[in-house]
Amino acid sequence: MPQMNSVYRHREFGASLTTLADYERAGGYLGLKDALALTPDDALYAFHRSGLRGRGGAGFPMGRKASFLPKDTGRPTYIVCNADESEPGTFKDREIIERNPFQLIEGLTIAAHAVGCERAYIYIRGEYEAQAKVLDAALAEARDAGRLGPDALGEGRPFDITLYRGAGAYICGEETALLESLEGKRGQPRLKPPFPAVAGLYGCPTLINNVETLAALPPIMHRGPDWYGSMGPEKSPGTKIFSVSGHVLRPGNYEVVLGETTLRELIFTMAGGVRPGRHVKAVWPGGSSVPVIGEGSLDVPLDYESLNGVGTFLGSGGCIVMDDSECIVRACHRLAQFYRHESCGKCTPCREGTGWLARILGRMVAGEGRGAEDIRMLESLFGRISGRTLCALADGAVMPVKSALELFPEEFAHVAEHGSPAPAPMMGEPVG
Amino acid sequence: MTAHEIEEYLSPMRHEFADPRSLILPALKFAQGDSGWLPAEDMAAVAEATGFSQAYVESVATFYDRLYVEPVGRRVINVCVTLSCMLRGSDEIFDHLADYLGLDGEGTTEDGMFTLAKVQCIGACDRAPCLQIDSGEQIGPLEPADATCLVDDLREQPAPARYER
Repeated sequence: MPQMNSVYRHREFGASLTTLADYERAGGYLGLKDALALTPDDALYAFHRSGLRGRGGAGFPMGRKASFLPKDTGRPTYIVCNADESEPGTFKDREIIERNPFQLIEGLTIAAHAVGCERAYIYIRGEYEAQAKVLDAALAEARDAGRLGPDALGEGRPFDITLYRGAGAYICGEETALLESLEGKRGQPRLKPPFPAVAGLYGCPTLINNVETLAALPPIMHRGPDWYGSMGPEKSPGTKIFSVSGHVLRPGNYEVVLGETTLRELIFTMAGGVRPGRHVKAVWPGGSSVPVIGEGSLDVPLDYESLNGVGTFLGSGGCIVMDDSECIVRACHRLAQFYRHESCGKCTPCREGTGWLARILGRMVAGEGRGAEDIRMLESLFGRISGRTLCALADGAVMPVKSALELFPEEFAHVAEHGSPAPAPMMGEPVG
Repeated sequence: MTAHEIEEYLSPMRHEFADPRSLILPALKFAQGDSGWLPAEDMAAVAEATGFSQAYVESVATFYDRLYVEPVGRRVINVCVTLSCMLRGSDEIFDHLADYLGLDGEGTTEDGMFTLAKVQCIGACDRAPCLQIDSGEQIGPLEPADATCLVDDLREQPAPARYER
């Protein structure tokens, strides 16, 4: 079904656009044409004016990030597209790549014009091999049609894109770890500053943006930054794709105008709600690394500021919904296992701390907890991990557990004494 | 896999990278395609083809989950067990598969056909509970019976010409 106000053409037209001809029929490459009619500085200003914020998780204003790139350094400027989508509960970039790869390619080309770049890289996670093949084909087609190559940005202005495949590491979604990986090293985050804008790939100025962010550029250029900026609240304009998963009847991706839809509408009206007789117990609205919120916060509008107002983050938009059939400590344990596995091991507080989190929660769930002592130990761990590491993985490990403990203190106390009840996962439910 | 074969594979992409170190990951993935994992000889060939030491190449390879430095089965069954999949029964899928394959948890079957692995979120939570054979399309939502049918189908298939892990 065609969707109004969609920024992503495959959603607007309700069809996959995996050939260049289909993409162009759907209005593809009009944005690049408009961008090339502007000077690079004016194109950059349009990004800024649109109010577009980074859709990968941090929500940093895209235009400002691009404006940090120093000019005339005598060294190449690179753009890196972060397609390492690995935040649990997030699968929006996968959809854009699978169904609309050219919008990403066009977005990268527009960004290249604005910042003066001749080569961009798309770093795609190794687990997305099927999606990488879609991109391979799209890149080859764009090259054949001259959309990439020696005259991609106009006569004598070359631009091309290299697709780089990761090999299985969540941390490579962290931008400096991604750069390390792309440089042929272990994917461990760098000390910042310098930030990638100044010293990124191969020490050169580098713009790093998420798939969803870059793919928003073509309609922003074609319909105008004011059109984009007019949707939603002033500080959080535009649309965002939320990936809804877990205990809902219609898991999937839903694009909303920020600020105009509540979390309750996203979960119940769009994603079908929870099973009859069940109620929402916990929601991680922006991927698993954000603080969890409860049923009392469901009427929050979906935008950056409003979600901060209820103590959580919009993050990547990976909205994981849990109903009252599941134990919160078991869910936290599962997430702690994730972060322990994915900690790169560079910073001691994270390497050791994520292990402690997983061990303590594990013994609680298994009925081998030490009661109040374990709760105290958990509480003392949070501050020893958070804010003491090079990147945000450690904070991401702490926030869901810390917030869950604050929201469900009785349940944690009970599980610490008696263990977790037998799991009763949602299976065999019709998927709408 | 010889260093020469790897060099031939890398040759068309060399100009895309300002530092040849960036070739190590593509080279490792290419080499792994041959036998499905990375024996020491393959690490040595990657080292020779890229111009870095074998120790360095191994230090890179061991960082990534989908580069295998120990032998694995003909097909690797990656069952996602992260939160969204857990909520929809991934543990039941995993246990059912382990039972069916005669494994006590993660591991490789005695006939070398299958490696069963628990993996972290593979970005297909809309298909939860889901799994991925090697690095193929994410498959789901699964019932335990679907998972065992998949195994039966795979058993009938010949080994892939090249492994994509």
